[in-house]
Amino acid sequence: MKENILRDADYVYHFDRELYFNRGARKVFSAEFIADHREDEITRSIEEPGTGNGWMFYANSPIPASIQQELESVLG
Amino acid sequence: MQERTIEDRLRQEYFELLPDIRRVESHLRALIQFQTLPILRQLGTHEQLIIKSRVKDCESAINALRRRTKEGKRREFASFDRNRPEDYSLLDLKDLAAVRVLAFPLTRLGEIDEALRPLFPDWTPDPIPDGMGGALAQKYYGFCPDLENKVQGEYQVVSMLTGLFWEVEHAAIYKPNPDLKGAERNSGLEELTQEVYRALANFDTGFARTISQRKT
Repeated sequence: MKENILRDADYVYHFDRELYFNRGARKVFSAEFIADHREDEITRSIEEPGTGNGWMFYANSPIPASIQQELESVLG
Repeated sequence: MQERTIEDRLRQEYFELLPDIRRVESHLRALIQFQTLPILRQLGTHEQLIIKSRVKDCESAINALRRRTKEGKRREFASFDRNRPEDYSLLDLKDLAAVRVLAFPLTRLGEIDEALRPLFPDWTPDPIPDGMGGALAQKYYGFCPDLENKVQGEYQVVSMLTGLFWEVEHAAIYKPNPDLKGAERNSGLEELTQEVYRALANFDTGFARTISQRKT
């Protein structure tokens, strides 16, 4: 199950912003991305190496810069 | 001077629209009450038909707009694009004024739905899916006939058992604790909710069957 994959990888659901995030991995998945992708694709994205600095966002459509900045500030 | 946020601008819009929203709510409710009177008069002693209406409150309206697009799709990351304030208007919401028709048992739902359709021929059907390929409730939205207004209204025809469950669920999950918004999406509650729907539908149809067998 997608939920289990995310939970096992220490992703937490952010209720207000409808996203899954992991502060250690600095990755964010939109709920829509999770809903629209297969389990193996989600696993691959989780395992993908991070950039080292800044958050990596996974979404179905491009994220406007202002939203990305706001989310980065919300997630810390 | 600090620039106004999108939320502040939407709050102003809400209170400018409020008289119109109230007008749509009372107009829609009166129309539906009148149109369902013949059914109300024929109800058996075991049957119920209740009509409820509400005006969406300001913060709920802003949150709904933050979460959904004009087309009703979920907005990714439930966020406003601060660089495009002109993209957002509460007039995009279809349920600022809404009426819910609750009936028990569910055998009356089809009859109520058919009685109301001719009143709103141009309204868009938007049934609420039950997650199993069917519909939990019939829902329609559009502009009120005979009422010049820029605010859309919505009405639903739903089993009373389901509708009352929604009231409890909504009050428990959404209203008192903002942290629980969206909780149904990832904490197993979604599955439990489906079980409740199945149980309520089983009771509804079982009850209707029993009554019908007693009559024959």
